[in-house]
Amino acid sequence: MLTIQLIINALAVGSIYAVTALSFEIAYESTGVVNFSTGQLVTAGALVGASVTAIGPHLAPVAYLAVIVAMAALGLLFFVGAYLPLRNRPVLTVIIGTVAVGILVQNVSLLIWGPLPIAVASPVGNATIRLAGLVVPTHALFVILVTMVLILAVYFLLYRSPLGTQFRALAQDPETARLIGVPVMRLYALTWMLACALAGIAGLLLAPMWFVDVGLGDSLALKAFAAAIIGGFGSIPGAIIGGIAVGLAEVLGASYISSSYKDAIVFALMILFLLFRPQGLFGERVADRA
Amino acid sequence: MLRCSNLCVSYGAVQALKGVDLTVAEGECVALLGANGAGKTTLLRAISGLVRPRSGEILLQGQTLGGMAPERRARAGIAHAPERRRIFPGLTVLENLQVGATAVRGLGARMQEDLDRVYAMFPRLAERRTQRGWSLSGGEQQMLAIGRALMARPRVLLLDEPSLGLAPLLAEEVYVRLADLAHTRITILLVEQNTAMALAVASRAYVLEHGEIVLHGASAELMDHPRVKEAYLGA
Ligand SMILES: Nc1ncnc2c1ncn2[C@@H]1O[C@H](COP(=O)(O)OP(=O)(O)OP(=O)(O)O)[C@@H](O)[C@H]1O
Ligand SMILES: [Mg+2]
Repeated sequence: MLTIQLIINALAVGSIYAVTALSFEIAYESTGVVNFSTGQLVTAGALVGASVTAIGPHLAPVAYLAVIVAMAALGLLFFVGAYLPLRNRPVLTVIIGTVAVGILVQNVSLLIWGPLPIAVASPVGNATIRLAGLVVPTHALFVILVTMVLILAVYFLLYRSPLGTQFRALAQDPETARLIGVPVMRLYALTWMLACALAGIAGLLLAPMWFVDVGLGDSLALKAFAAAIIGGFGSIPGAIIGGIAVGLAEVLGASYISSSYKDAIVFALMILFLLFRPQGLFGERVADRA
Repeated sequence: MLRCSNLCVSYGAVQALKGVDLTVAEGECVALLGANGAGKTTLLRAISGLVRPRSGEILLQGQTLGGMAPERRARAGIAHAPERRRIFPGLTVLENLQVGATAVRGLGARMQEDLDRVYAMFPRLAERRTQRGWSLSGGEQQMLAIGRALMARPRVLLLDEPSLGLAPLLAEEVYVRLADLAHTRITILLVEQNTAMALAVASRAYVLEHGEIVLHGASAELMDHPRVKEAYLGA
């Protein structure tokens, strides 16, 4: 029984890692940029949500909408202010650029929200429900549900819509995508809006579980990075499975081994993957990415 | 329809095109011949906007293309089936064709008509419509590259070495289709090293050497031209 309860918690935590990894992966797949500001974007989303719920806890559902809008706007800013000027520069310059964006977002967050941790209400409150003798926090179920909806939405966007085919064509061969008329700049802008919105939602999902401060996203981003490696860098299903796997490893490791080692367990797992299966669980065939 | 005048392109210090003049009239199939490194691909890339000319002009229906981006040229009616086909490896045959229609907006139901037309032209693509691009043979990839370009309902079709890397029989098959296509009076600029096949399909041809047009004329004339016979037809 205890194990099932733990697994539900692990799935909730893993879902948040999965959404963060999805944000990271979508940006990487479409633009080739490894976004080192993901953690700070997660934090920004949580803080925007915190401000909305601070007005009144009944606004918690509205907070999700507000975060999507605010973070999409931030994504557009990211596209215009960082991606466009840097996109033809060497990879290292672009990476440093995203780190700089992260620092900027973090400092602006600090200016607006200050250093004190903020408590954030969940749209489903902080109750627990009893299910067949299990005690499950309603927020954990909510997180899992929202994540499933997001994954389905991303799936339909990327794999079942004409726009998604254009996205995948662009990811596989940008030059040829331009030759067939794919509006590449518009798609890059959309990519950053989507990546930022997903990161923001991840932050808002996490917020009721932890107190929110400007450092909230930092460790989350590291876990999402581990999730991307374990799932297979460059694979969208991999990001999702990797996120869940990291959540399971962390929660089960913490309860069966020792909670002081939970981060170490995750990173040990990541290093094992790097050593023995660098393509991750869903390593794509090289031919797919030719 | 398409006209290049005094086109010069350089890669750093290398001058790939040195003042090329070329026209393709509406409904005409024109071949561009030349050896490895002559600058054929460079010319097509300049027309579709992937490389910036250093000087000279490219006109589509009398309008200069200037610094227009490749994706906008695609929407203006230039479809380019690039060298080595460049099929999207992770997309299925059907998705490769669908995405090929990106340049034509508001296609809606007519998309199916266009798909049917491509499938009728290359029945093998219809059989393999759910297969991923990377899993196709070279010949099938070439058919797909041509089909994908046709999905854009182009005003001008640029084809870069459609016979490249194909077994003779397959190359022949592709050229039979190209001949049919040329009969539909679609405007084509065909780059090819396989001179005999290209001259059989095109009505006129240009010969490019070291970035300069050295000869041009009707295909029938060029076929009998001593220089072409010696250098390009291996006779
Ligand atoms: N990206 C590039 N950078 C530098 N030089 C290039 C580049 N692309 C082509 N060149 C040079 O420009 C010249 C023309 O090349 P191009 O590819 O246009 O020739 P081609 O006629 O298409 O040859 P092939 O039949 O082998 O495809 C060659 O000397 C080539 O080395
Ligand atoms: Mg070439």
